[in-house]
Amino acid sequence: MAGETVARGLGLARPGPRTSLGIIWTVFLARLRIILRYKGAILGESLLPVVFAGLPILLGIAVAGDEQTAAENFFRTTAGAGQGASDFRLYMLLGSNTFMVVSLMLWLIGYWVRREQETGTLEALYLAPAKRLHVLAGVTSYTLVRALIAFVSAMVIGSIVFQVNPLAGNFPAALGYLILGIPALWGISFIFGALILRIKEANSVIQLLQWVLAFAMGVYFPVTVFPALVRYAAMAFPPTLMNDAMRSTLLGLTSIYGPWYIVLGLMLMAAWTVPLLGYEFFLAVERRIKKDQGVGQF
Amino acid sequence: MHRGFGLARGGLRQYVETFVDMSKKVFVEYSRYPIAFIALFVQIFLIILLFIFSAFAFSSGEPGDPRVTTFAGMMAYGFVTNIFLSFTLWEVGFSIREEQVRGTLESLYLSPTNKFSNLLSRIFMILSWTTIMCAAGLGLVSVVMGGLPASNVGMGLLILVFTISGFLGLGFLFAGITIRLKETAQILVSFFQFFFMIFSAQFFPFSVLPQPVLDYISRWLPVSYAVDLFRTTLLGIPPELMPGNYWLEFLIVALFGIVSPVLGYFGYRAVERKARSAGTLGEY
Repeated sequence: MAGETVARGLGLARPGPRTSLGIIWTVFLARLRIILRYKGAILGESLLPVVFAGLPILLGIAVAGDEQTAAENFFRTTAGAGQGASDFRLYMLLGSNTFMVVSLMLWLIGYWVRREQETGTLEALYLAPAKRLHVLAGVTSYTLVRALIAFVSAMVIGSIVFQVNPLAGNFPAALGYLILGIPALWGISFIFGALILRIKEANSVIQLLQWVLAFAMGVYFPVTVFPALVRYAAMAFPPTLMNDAMRSTLLGLTSIYGPWYIVLGLMLMAAWTVPLLGYEFFLAVERRIKKDQGVGQF
Repeated sequence: MHRGFGLARGGLRQYVETFVDMSKKVFVEYSRYPIAFIALFVQIFLIILLFIFSAFAFSSGEPGDPRVTTFAGMMAYGFVTNIFLSFTLWEVGFSIREEQVRGTLESLYLSPTNKFSNLLSRIFMILSWTTIMCAAGLGLVSVVMGGLPASNVGMGLLILVFTISGFLGLGFLFAGITIRLKETAQILVSFFQFFFMIFSAQFFPFSVLPQPVLDYISRWLPVSYAVDLFRTTLLGIPPELMPGNYWLEFLIVALFGIVSPVLGYFGYRAVERKARSAGTLGEY
Protein backbone atom coordinates (compact mmCIF):
# COMPACT_ATOMS: atom_id res chain seq x y z
CA MET A 1 0.00 0.00 0.00
CA ALA A 2 2.76 2.35 1.01
CA GLY A 3 4.64 1.55 -2.18
CA GLU A 4 1.60 2.53 -4.25
CA THR A 5 1.34 5.91 -2.62
CA VAL A 6 4.99 6.76 -2.90
CA ALA A 7 5.95 8.15 -6.31
CA ARG A 8 9.71 7.91 -6.90
CA GLY A 9 10.67 9.11 -3.46
CA LEU A 10 8.41 12.12 -3.64
CA GLY A 11 5.91 10.93 -1.07
CA LEU A 12 2.31 11.52 -2.02
CA ALA A 13 3.17 14.09 -4.64
CA ARG A 14 2.80 12.95 -8.26
CA PRO A 15 4.54 15.49 -10.44
CA GLY A 16 3.19 15.58 -13.98
CA PRO A 17 4.50 17.78 -16.83
CA ARG A 18 2.43 20.73 -15.63
CA THR A 19 3.82 20.43 -12.10
CA SER A 20 7.35 20.09 -13.43
CA LEU A 21 6.98 23.23 -15.50
CA GLY A 22 5.45 24.88 -12.47
CA ILE A 23 8.53 24.05 -10.40
CA ILE A 24 10.87 25.47 -13.05
CA TRP A 25 8.75 28.61 -13.36
CA THR A 26 8.46 29.09 -9.58
CA VAL A 27 12.20 28.74 -9.01
CA PHE A 28 12.90 31.04 -11.97
CA LEU A 29 10.45 33.64 -10.68
CA ALA A 30 11.74 33.44 -7.12
CA ARG A 31 15.34 34.06 -8.23
CA LEU A 32 14.24 36.87 -10.54
CA ARG A 33 12.25 38.55 -7.77
CA ILE A 34 15.24 38.43 -5.46
CA ILE A 35 17.61 39.99 -7.96
CA LEU A 36 15.09 42.66 -8.95
CA ARG A 37 15.47 43.99 -5.42
CA TYR A 38 19.12 44.68 -6.24
CA LYS A 39 19.02 46.64 -9.47
CA GLY A 40 22.55 47.80 -8.89
CA ALA A 41 23.73 44.23 -9.45
CA ILE A 42 22.26 44.18 -12.94
CA LEU A 43 23.85 47.54 -13.71
CA GLY A 44 27.19 46.33 -12.39
CA GLU A 45 27.10 43.24 -14.60
CA SER A 46 26.51 45.44 -17.62
CA LEU A 47 29.42 47.70 -16.81
CA LEU A 48 31.91 45.08 -15.70
CA PRO A 49 32.70 43.65 -19.17
CA VAL A 50 33.32 47.19 -20.42
CA VAL A 51 35.86 47.67 -17.64
CA PHE A 52 37.41 44.27 -18.39
CA ALA A 53 37.73 45.22 -22.03
CA GLY A 54 38.99 48.69 -21.20
CA LEU A 55 41.95 47.45 -19.17
CA PRO A 56 43.82 45.61 -21.97
CA ILE A 57 42.86 48.32 -24.46
CA LEU A 58 44.43 51.05 -22.33
CA LEU A 59 47.34 48.78 -21.50
CA GLY A 60 47.88 47.90 -25.16
CA ILE A 61 47.92 51.53 -26.23
CA ALA A 62 50.38 52.31 -23.43
CA VAL A 63 52.69 49.47 -24.42
CA ALA A 64 52.59 50.26 -28.13
CA GLY A 65 52.87 54.03 -27.70
CA ASP A 66 49.82 55.02 -29.72
CA GLU A 67 46.58 53.55 -30.96
CA GLN A 68 47.69 52.96 -34.55
CA THR A 69 50.81 51.09 -33.49
CA ALA A 70 48.74 49.14 -30.96
CA ALA A 71 46.36 48.03 -33.75
CA GLU A 72 49.29 47.08 -36.02
CA ASN A 73 51.08 45.15 -33.28
CA PHE A 74 47.93 43.34 -32.21
CA PHE A 75 47.16 42.42 -35.83
CA ARG A 76 50.66 41.04 -36.26
CA THR A 77 50.47 39.02 -33.02
CA THR A 78 47.05 37.54 -33.79
CA ALA A 79 48.04 36.88 -37.42
CA GLY A 80 51.01 34.93 -36.10
CA ALA A 81 48.54 32.89 -34.07
CA GLY A 82 46.47 32.13 -37.19
CA GLN A 83 43.86 34.90 -37.00
CA GLY A 84 44.79 38.54 -37.67
CA ALA A 85 42.34 40.80 -35.87
CA SER A 86 42.39 44.37 -37.10
CA ASP A 87 39.85 45.76 -34.63
CA PHE A 88 41.40 45.07 -31.24
CA ARG A 89 38.73 47.07 -29.39
CA LEU A 90 35.89 44.88 -30.64
CA TYR A 91 38.07 41.79 -30.10
CA MET A 92 38.50 42.68 -26.42
CA LEU A 93 34.89 43.74 -25.96
CA LEU A 94 33.56 40.49 -27.41
CA GLY A 95 36.01 38.44 -25.38
CA SER A 96 35.15 40.12 -22.10
CA ASN A 97 31.39 40.01 -22.82
CA THR A 98 31.48 36.29 -23.53
CA PHE A 99 33.65 35.83 -20.47
CA MET A 100 31.02 37.67 -18.43
CA VAL A 101 28.28 35.33 -19.68
CA VAL A 102 30.31 32.23 -18.79
CA SER A 103 31.45 33.67 -15.49
CA LEU A 104 27.93 34.71 -14.49
CA MET A 105 26.52 31.27 -15.23
CA LEU A 106 29.11 29.70 -12.95
CA TRP A 107 28.89 32.38 -10.24
CA LEU A 108 25.14 32.22 -10.01
CA ILE A 109 24.92 28.44 -9.81
CA GLY A 110 27.82 28.23 -7.39
CA TYR A 111 26.45 30.96 -5.18
CA TRP A 112 22.96 29.54 -5.30
CA VAL A 113 24.20 26.21 -3.90
CA ARG A 114 26.38 27.95 -1.33
CA ARG A 115 23.72 30.42 -0.21
CA GLU A 116 21.16 27.63 0.21
CA GLN A 117 23.73 25.75 2.30
CA GLU A 118 24.52 28.76 4.46
CA THR A 119 20.93 29.78 5.05
CA GLY A 120 20.07 26.18 5.85
CA THR A 121 17.47 25.79 3.12
CA LEU A 122 19.28 23.28 0.92
CA GLU A 123 18.19 20.28 2.94
CA ALA A 124 14.63 21.61 3.03
CA LEU A 125 14.76 21.86 -0.76
CA TYR A 126 15.79 18.21 -0.92
CA LEU A 127 12.79 17.26 1.20
CA ALA A 128 10.34 19.15 -1.01
CA PRO A 129 8.36 17.07 -3.55
CA ALA A 130 10.32 18.49 -6.48
CA LYS A 131 12.89 16.83 -8.69
CA ARG A 132 16.38 18.24 -8.56
CA LEU A 133 16.50 18.54 -12.34
CA HIS A 134 13.52 20.88 -12.34
CA VAL A 135 14.90 23.03 -9.56
CA LEU A 136 18.25 23.21 -11.37
CA ALA A 137 16.47 24.00 -14.64
CA GLY A 138 14.72 26.90 -12.92
CA VAL A 139 17.97 28.27 -11.52
CA THR A 140 19.87 27.83 -14.79
CA SER A 141 17.06 29.51 -16.77
CA TYR A 142 17.33 32.46 -14.43
CA THR A 143 21.12 32.58 -14.84
CA LEU A 144 20.66 32.47 -18.60
CA VAL A 145 18.27 35.42 -18.62
CA ARG A 146 20.54 37.39 -16.33
CA ALA A 147 23.63 36.58 -18.41
CA LEU A 148 21.91 37.51 -21.67
CA ILE A 149 20.72 40.83 -20.24
CA ALA A 150 24.29 41.55 -19.14
CA PHE A 151 25.66 40.52 -22.55
CA VAL A 152 23.33 42.68 -24.62
CA SER A 153 23.57 45.75 -22.39
CA ALA A 154 27.36 45.46 -22.07
CA MET A 155 27.59 45.16 -25.84
CA VAL A 156 25.57 48.35 -26.30
CA ILE A 157 27.49 50.29 -23.63
CA GLY A 158 30.85 48.94 -24.84
CA SER A 159 30.09 49.79 -28.45
CA ILE A 160 29.38 53.39 -27.46
CA VAL A 161 32.40 53.70 -25.14
CA PHE A 162 34.90 52.09 -27.54
CA GLN A 163 33.22 53.38 -30.71
CA VAL A 164 32.94 50.00 -32.38
CA ASN A 165 30.14 48.55 -34.46
CA PRO A 166 29.36 44.92 -33.58
CA LEU A 167 26.59 44.87 -36.19
CA ALA A 168 29.12 45.20 -39.00
CA GLY A 169 29.74 41.45 -38.85
CA ASN A 170 27.22 38.62 -38.88
CA PHE A 171 25.51 39.50 -35.58
CA PRO A 172 22.55 37.05 -35.82
CA ALA A 173 24.97 34.17 -36.46
CA ALA A 174 27.11 35.23 -33.50
CA LEU A 175 24.03 35.41 -31.29
CA GLY A 176 23.06 31.96 -32.59
CA TYR A 177 26.45 30.62 -31.52
CA LEU A 178 25.97 32.22 -28.11
CA ILE A 179 22.58 30.51 -27.66
CA LEU A 180 23.98 27.23 -28.97
CA GLY A 181 26.79 27.49 -26.43
CA ILE A 182 24.40 27.87 -23.49
CA PRO A 183 23.53 24.14 -22.97
CA ALA A 184 27.23 23.36 -22.64
CA LEU A 185 27.50 26.15 -20.09
CA TRP A 186 24.61 24.62 -18.20
CA GLY A 187 26.53 21.35 -18.12
CA ILE A 188 29.63 23.09 -16.78
CA SER A 189 27.45 24.92 -14.24
CA PHE A 190 26.15 21.56 -12.96
CA ILE A 191 29.73 20.33 -12.55
CA PHE A 192 30.60 23.56 -10.82
CA GLY A 193 27.56 23.35 -8.54
CA ALA A 194 28.58 19.81 -7.61
CA LEU A 195 32.09 21.02 -6.79
CA ILE A 196 30.73 23.72 -4.51
CA LEU A 197 28.48 21.14 -2.88
CA ARG A 198 31.50 18.98 -2.24
CA ILE A 199 34.30 21.38 -1.35
CA LYS A 200 32.08 24.21 -0.09
CA GLU A 201 34.58 27.04 -0.56
CA ALA A 202 32.49 28.82 -3.16
CA ASN A 203 34.17 32.24 -2.98
CA SER A 204 37.72 31.14 -3.52
CA VAL A 205 36.88 28.46 -6.07
CA ILE A 206 34.76 30.86 -8.11
CA GLN A 207 37.35 33.61 -7.96
CA LEU A 208 40.11 31.25 -8.97
CA LEU A 209 38.16 29.56 -11.74
CA GLN A 210 37.16 32.94 -13.07
CA TRP A 211 40.75 33.72 -13.93
CA VAL A 212 41.48 30.22 -15.14
CA LEU A 213 38.48 30.70 -17.42
CA ALA A 214 39.74 34.05 -18.66
CA PHE A 215 43.02 32.35 -19.50
CA ALA A 216 41.54 29.25 -21.09
CA MET A 217 38.92 31.13 -23.09
CA GLY A 218 41.40 33.45 -24.75
CA VAL A 219 39.55 36.53 -23.58
CA TYR A 220 42.32 38.94 -24.57
CA PHE A 221 44.34 36.89 -27.06
CA PRO A 222 43.89 33.72 -29.13
CA VAL A 223 44.65 30.53 -27.21
CA THR A 224 46.92 29.45 -30.05
CA VAL A 225 49.69 31.52 -28.43
CA PHE A 226 49.91 28.90 -25.68
CA PRO A 227 52.26 25.90 -25.77
CA ALA A 228 50.72 22.82 -27.48
CA LEU A 229 49.46 21.01 -24.36
CA VAL A 230 47.84 24.08 -22.79
CA ARG A 231 46.45 25.07 -26.20
CA TYR A 232 44.68 21.73 -26.73
CA ALA A 233 43.34 21.73 -23.18
CA ALA A 234 42.01 25.27 -23.70
CA MET A 235 40.51 24.38 -27.08
CA ALA A 236 38.69 21.37 -25.59
CA PHE A 237 36.95 23.70 -23.16
CA PRO A 238 33.42 24.54 -24.49
CA PRO A 239 33.48 28.26 -23.52
CA THR A 240 36.65 28.68 -25.63
CA LEU A 241 34.78 27.21 -28.57
CA MET A 242 31.84 29.54 -28.01
CA ASN A 243 34.08 32.56 -27.64
CA ASP A 244 36.03 31.74 -30.78
CA ALA A 245 32.88 30.97 -32.79
CA MET A 246 31.32 34.30 -31.88
CA ARG A 247 34.48 36.28 -32.36
CA SER A 248 35.38 34.75 -35.72
CA THR A 249 31.80 35.30 -36.96
CA LEU A 250 31.57 38.91 -35.89
CA LEU A 251 35.11 39.97 -36.78
CA GLY A 252 35.39 37.90 -39.94
CA LEU A 253 38.39 35.95 -38.61
CA THR A 254 39.47 32.40 -39.33
CA SER A 255 38.32 30.19 -36.48
CA ILE A 256 41.10 28.36 -34.67
CA TYR A 257 38.96 25.21 -34.98
CA GLY A 258 38.66 25.29 -38.79
CA PRO A 259 35.82 26.04 -41.24
CA TRP A 260 32.37 27.10 -39.99
CA TYR A 261 30.78 23.63 -40.37
CA ILE A 262 33.39 22.11 -38.06
CA VAL A 263 32.75 24.88 -35.53
CA LEU A 264 29.00 24.30 -35.82
CA GLY A 265 29.43 20.52 -35.50
CA LEU A 266 31.62 20.91 -32.42
CA MET A 267 29.15 23.30 -30.86
CA LEU A 268 26.23 20.93 -31.47
CA MET A 269 28.22 18.08 -29.99
CA ALA A 270 29.08 20.16 -26.91
CA ALA A 271 25.45 21.30 -26.56
CA TRP A 272 24.33 17.65 -26.55
CA THR A 273 26.96 15.93 -24.43
CA VAL A 274 28.17 18.45 -21.84
CA PRO A 275 24.78 19.01 -20.09
CA LEU A 276 24.23 15.25 -19.81
CA LEU A 277 27.70 14.68 -18.45
CA GLY A 278 27.35 17.66 -16.13
CA TYR A 279 24.05 16.49 -14.71
CA GLU A 280 25.32 12.96 -14.23
CA PHE A 281 28.33 14.34 -12.41
CA PHE A 282 26.10 16.46 -10.19
CA LEU A 283 23.95 13.44 -9.31
CA ALA A 284 26.99 11.27 -8.58
CA VAL A 285 28.50 13.89 -6.24
CA GLU A 286 25.15 14.50 -4.62
CA ARG A 287 24.61 10.76 -3.96
CA ARG A 288 28.00 10.53 -2.33
CA ILE A 289 27.42 13.56 -0.12
CA LYS A 290 24.02 12.28 0.94
CA LYS A 291 25.64 8.99 1.95
CA ASP A 292 28.35 10.80 3.95
CA GLN A 293 27.46 13.91 5.91
CA GLY A 294 24.34 15.12 4.08
CA VAL A 295 23.89 18.20 1.93
CA GLY A 296 23.18 20.65 4.70
CA GLN A 297 26.65 20.77 6.22
CA PHE A 298 28.76 23.79 5.38
CA MET B 1 30.54 48.13 35.88
CA HIS B 2 32.36 49.77 33.00
CA ARG B 3 30.51 51.62 30.20
CA GLY B 4 27.74 49.10 29.99
CA PHE B 5 30.10 46.18 29.57
CA GLY B 6 29.22 44.44 32.81
CA LEU B 7 32.27 43.18 34.63
CA ALA B 8 34.55 43.60 31.60
CA ARG B 9 37.10 46.36 31.82
CA GLY B 10 38.02 48.07 28.59
CA GLY B 11 41.60 49.14 28.21
CA LEU B 12 44.64 48.64 26.04
CA ARG B 13 45.11 45.09 27.29
CA GLN B 14 41.53 44.20 26.54
CA TYR B 15 41.81 45.83 23.08
CA VAL B 16 44.93 43.84 22.28
CA GLU B 17 43.47 40.62 23.62
CA THR B 18 40.29 41.14 21.61
CA PHE B 19 42.39 41.74 18.52
CA VAL B 20 44.51 38.63 19.11
CA ASP B 21 41.53 36.42 19.93
CA MET B 22 39.47 37.59 16.98
CA SER B 23 42.44 37.28 14.65
CA LYS B 24 42.77 33.70 15.91
CA LYS B 25 39.09 33.17 15.15
CA VAL B 26 39.62 34.48 11.58
CA PHE B 27 42.67 32.24 11.25
CA VAL B 28 40.73 29.18 12.45
CA GLU B 29 37.93 30.03 10.02
CA TYR B 30 40.38 30.32 7.14
CA SER B 31 42.23 27.18 8.13
CA ARG B 32 38.95 25.29 7.64
CA TYR B 33 39.07 26.29 3.99
CA PRO B 34 42.61 25.51 2.83
CA ILE B 35 41.69 25.71 -0.84
CA ALA B 36 41.08 29.44 -0.37
CA PHE B 37 44.74 29.94 0.49
CA ILE B 38 45.97 28.05 -2.55
CA ALA B 39 43.36 29.74 -4.74
CA LEU B 40 44.56 33.14 -3.62
CA PHE B 41 48.11 32.46 -4.68
CA VAL B 42 47.18 30.94 -8.05
CA GLN B 43 44.75 33.80 -8.63
CA ILE B 44 47.39 36.47 -8.02
CA PHE B 45 49.78 34.74 -10.38
CA LEU B 46 47.13 34.21 -13.07
CA ILE B 47 45.87 37.80 -13.08
CA ILE B 48 49.34 39.28 -13.41
CA LEU B 49 50.20 36.77 -16.12
CA LEU B 50 46.96 37.38 -18.02
CA PHE B 51 47.69 41.07 -18.32
CA ILE B 52 51.33 40.50 -19.13
CA PHE B 53 50.29 38.17 -21.96
CA SER B 54 47.94 40.91 -23.16
CA ALA B 55 50.77 43.43 -23.04
CA PHE B 56 52.90 41.06 -25.14
CA ALA B 57 50.15 40.97 -27.77
CA PHE B 58 50.56 44.74 -28.22
CA SER B 59 54.34 44.87 -28.02
CA SER B 60 56.69 45.40 -30.93
CA GLY B 61 57.62 41.73 -30.81
CA GLU B 62 61.32 42.47 -30.38
CA PRO B 63 62.88 40.32 -27.66
CA GLY B 64 63.66 42.23 -24.45
CA ASP B 65 61.54 45.25 -25.39
CA PRO B 66 62.24 47.67 -22.47
CA ARG B 67 58.73 49.12 -22.70
CA VAL B 68 57.22 45.71 -21.99
CA THR B 69 59.48 45.21 -18.97
CA THR B 70 58.55 48.63 -17.53
CA PHE B 71 54.85 48.05 -18.16
CA ALA B 72 55.05 44.57 -16.70
CA GLY B 73 56.56 46.15 -13.58
CA MET B 74 53.87 48.85 -13.49
CA MET B 75 51.17 46.23 -13.84
CA ALA B 76 52.62 43.82 -11.34
CA TYR B 77 53.25 46.46 -8.64
CA GLY B 78 49.97 48.20 -9.43
CA PHE B 79 48.30 44.86 -9.00
CA VAL B 80 49.78 44.52 -5.52
CA THR B 81 48.01 47.73 -4.49
CA ASN B 82 44.85 46.51 -6.20
CA ILE B 83 44.80 43.23 -4.34
CA PHE B 84 45.36 44.93 -0.99
CA LEU B 85 42.57 47.41 -1.71
CA SER B 86 40.20 44.67 -2.87
CA PHE B 87 40.84 42.49 0.16
CA THR B 88 40.47 45.41 2.55
CA LEU B 89 37.16 46.43 1.04
CA TRP B 90 35.82 42.89 0.85
CA GLU B 91 37.18 41.41 4.04
CA VAL B 92 36.38 44.28 6.39
CA GLY B 93 33.17 45.42 4.71
CA PHE B 94 31.80 42.12 3.66
CA SER B 95 32.66 40.12 6.76
CA ILE B 96 30.24 42.39 8.61
CA ARG B 97 27.61 41.34 6.09
CA GLU B 98 28.42 37.70 6.72
CA GLU B 99 27.93 38.22 10.44
CA GLN B 100 24.56 39.80 9.64
CA VAL B 101 23.50 36.86 7.46
CA ARG B 102 24.67 34.30 10.01
CA GLY B 103 22.90 36.24 12.73
CA THR B 104 26.02 36.69 14.87
CA LEU B 105 26.53 40.44 14.48
CA GLU B 106 24.15 41.45 17.25
CA SER B 107 25.63 38.89 19.62
CA LEU B 108 29.05 40.28 18.89
CA TYR B 109 27.85 43.74 19.76
CA LEU B 110 26.45 42.52 23.03
CA SER B 111 29.85 41.14 24.00
CA PRO B 112 32.37 43.47 25.66
CA THR B 113 34.67 43.50 22.65
CA ASN B 114 36.39 46.61 21.43
CA LYS B 115 34.88 47.57 18.07
CA PHE B 116 38.14 48.79 16.58
CA SER B 117 39.95 45.58 17.47
CA ASN B 118 37.00 43.69 16.05
CA LEU B 119 37.24 45.50 12.72
CA LEU B 120 41.03 45.32 12.51
CA SER B 121 41.15 41.62 13.33
CA ARG B 122 38.97 40.86 10.30
CA ILE B 123 41.69 41.98 7.94
CA PHE B 124 44.92 41.28 9.81
CA MET B 125 45.30 37.60 8.93
CA ILE B 126 44.25 37.97 5.32
CA LEU B 127 46.61 40.92 4.84
CA SER B 128 49.49 38.98 6.30
CA TRP B 129 48.74 36.07 4.02
CA THR B 130 48.26 38.37 1.00
CA THR B 131 51.66 39.94 1.64
CA ILE B 132 53.34 36.54 1.49
CA MET B 133 51.33 35.53 -1.57
CA CYS B 134 52.08 38.80 -3.36
CA ALA B 135 55.80 38.39 -2.74
CA ALA B 136 55.66 34.82 -4.05
CA GLY B 137 53.47 35.84 -7.03
CA LEU B 138 55.83 38.69 -7.94
CA GLY B 139 58.79 36.32 -7.65
CA LEU B 140 57.15 33.87 -10.00
CA VAL B 141 56.21 36.58 -12.50
CA SER B 142 59.76 37.89 -12.29
CA VAL B 143 61.05 34.44 -13.23
CA VAL B 144 58.62 34.23 -16.16
CA MET B 145 59.51 37.74 -17.34
CA GLY B 146 63.22 37.29 -16.88
CA GLY B 147 63.37 39.81 -14.00
CA LEU B 148 61.18 42.64 -12.75
CA PRO B 149 62.83 45.96 -11.82
CA ALA B 150 63.04 46.38 -8.03
CA SER B 151 64.80 49.51 -6.77
CA ASN B 152 64.41 51.27 -3.38
CA VAL B 153 62.71 48.24 -1.80
CA GLY B 154 62.82 49.72 1.73
CA MET B 155 61.13 52.94 0.65
CA GLY B 156 58.65 50.97 -1.42
CA LEU B 157 57.68 48.92 1.64
CA LEU B 158 57.25 52.05 3.76
CA ILE B 159 54.93 53.49 1.10
CA LEU B 160 53.06 50.18 1.03
CA VAL B 161 52.52 50.37 4.80
CA PHE B 162 51.00 53.86 4.49
CA THR B 163 48.98 52.68 1.50
CA ILE B 164 47.51 49.69 3.35
CA SER B 165 46.78 51.86 6.37
CA GLY B 166 44.92 54.29 4.08
CA PHE B 167 42.99 51.40 2.54
CA LEU B 168 41.98 50.27 6.03
CA GLY B 169 40.16 53.57 6.45
CA LEU B 170 38.22 52.88 3.27
CA GLY B 171 37.51 49.37 4.55
CA PHE B 172 36.13 50.70 7.87
CA LEU B 173 33.92 53.12 5.99
CA PHE B 174 32.63 50.31 3.80
CA ALA B 175 31.89 48.22 6.87
CA GLY B 176 29.57 51.04 7.97
CA ILE B 177 28.05 51.29 4.51
CA THR B 178 27.46 47.52 4.56
CA ILE B 179 25.47 47.82 7.79
CA ARG B 180 23.35 50.48 6.15
CA LEU B 181 22.98 49.16 2.60
CA LYS B 182 23.08 45.42 3.36
CA GLU B 183 23.18 43.30 0.17
CA THR B 184 23.51 46.34 -2.13
CA ALA B 185 26.84 47.14 -0.48
CA GLN B 186 28.28 44.26 -2.48
CA ILE B 187 27.60 46.16 -5.68
CA LEU B 188 29.06 49.31 -4.23
CA VAL B 189 32.23 47.52 -3.17
CA SER B 190 32.57 46.02 -6.66
CA PHE B 191 31.93 49.42 -8.18
CA PHE B 192 34.62 51.13 -6.10
CA GLN B 193 37.02 48.30 -6.70
CA PHE B 194 36.75 48.92 -10.43
CA PHE B 195 36.55 52.68 -9.99
CA PHE B 196 39.96 52.71 -8.33
CA MET B 197 41.28 50.13 -10.77
CA ILE B 198 40.56 52.51 -13.66
CA PHE B 199 40.89 56.00 -12.18
CA SER B 200 43.85 55.21 -9.95
CA ALA B 201 45.45 53.42 -12.91
CA GLN B 202 46.30 50.27 -10.98
CA PHE B 203 46.99 48.20 -14.10
CA PHE B 204 48.48 50.78 -16.43
CA PRO B 205 50.43 54.03 -16.31
CA PHE B 206 48.57 57.30 -15.66
CA SER B 207 49.80 58.59 -19.01
CA VAL B 208 47.23 56.34 -20.71
CA LEU B 209 44.29 58.13 -19.12
CA PRO B 210 42.75 61.02 -21.04
CA GLN B 211 43.92 64.39 -19.66
CA PRO B 212 40.48 65.50 -18.31
CA VAL B 213 40.09 62.17 -16.46
CA LEU B 214 43.59 62.55 -15.04
CA ASP B 215 43.09 66.17 -13.98
CA TYR B 216 39.51 66.05 -12.72
CA ILE B 217 39.31 62.56 -11.21
CA SER B 218 42.64 60.74 -10.72
CA ARG B 219 44.54 63.66 -9.20
CA TRP B 220 41.82 64.09 -6.56
CA LEU B 221 42.10 60.53 -5.31
CA PRO B 222 44.72 59.86 -2.59
CA VAL B 223 44.71 56.22 -3.75
CA SER B 224 46.17 57.39 -7.09
CA TYR B 225 49.17 58.93 -5.33
CA ALA B 226 49.68 55.77 -3.28
CA VAL B 227 49.64 53.58 -6.39
CA ASP B 228 51.86 55.95 -8.35
CA LEU B 229 54.45 56.41 -5.63
CA PHE B 230 54.66 52.73 -4.71
CA ARG B 231 55.30 51.46 -8.21
CA THR B 232 57.51 54.28 -9.49
CA THR B 233 59.65 53.98 -6.35
CA LEU B 234 60.14 50.27 -7.00
CA LEU B 235 60.73 50.87 -10.71
CA GLY B 236 63.26 53.62 -9.91
CA ILE B 237 61.55 56.22 -12.09
CA PRO B 238 60.05 59.66 -11.19
CA PRO B 239 56.38 59.58 -10.10
CA GLU B 240 53.91 60.28 -12.86
CA LEU B 241 51.49 62.51 -10.93
CA MET B 242 54.13 64.83 -9.43
CA PRO B 243 57.30 64.17 -11.43
CA GLY B 244 59.19 67.08 -9.93
CA ASN B 245 58.06 66.71 -6.33
CA TYR B 246 58.62 63.24 -4.94
CA TRP B 247 58.45 64.28 -1.28
CA LEU B 248 55.19 66.18 -1.65
CA GLU B 249 53.66 63.06 -3.14
CA PHE B 250 55.14 61.06 -0.26
CA LEU B 251 53.54 63.51 2.20
CA ILE B 252 50.14 62.99 0.55
CA VAL B 253 50.51 59.22 0.84
CA ALA B 254 51.68 59.46 4.47
CA LEU B 255 48.73 61.71 5.37
CA PHE B 256 46.40 59.29 3.59
CA GLY B 257 47.81 56.47 5.68
CA ILE B 258 47.34 58.39 8.94
CA VAL B 259 44.09 60.29 8.41
CA SER B 260 42.07 57.74 6.44
CA PRO B 261 41.77 55.05 9.19
CA VAL B 262 40.73 57.68 11.73
CA LEU B 263 38.05 59.16 9.47
CA GLY B 264 36.95 55.72 8.28
CA TYR B 265 36.54 54.47 11.82
CA PHE B 266 34.53 57.53 12.89
CA GLY B 267 32.34 57.05 9.81
CA TYR B 268 31.80 53.41 10.77
CA ARG B 269 30.92 54.28 14.37
CA ALA B 270 28.42 56.93 13.23
CA VAL B 271 26.56 54.46 10.97
CA GLU B 272 26.77 51.72 13.59
CA ARG B 273 25.32 53.97 16.33
CA LYS B 274 22.45 54.92 14.05
CA ALA B 275 21.76 51.27 13.21
CA ARG B 276 21.84 50.31 16.90
CA SER B 277 19.45 53.08 17.92
CA ALA B 278 17.13 52.14 15.05
CA GLY B 279 17.43 48.46 15.98
CA THR B 280 18.49 47.47 12.46
CA LEU B 281 21.98 46.18 13.21
CA GLY B 282 21.08 42.53 12.89
CA GLU B 283 18.63 42.99 10.02
CA TYR B 284 19.59 41.70 6.64
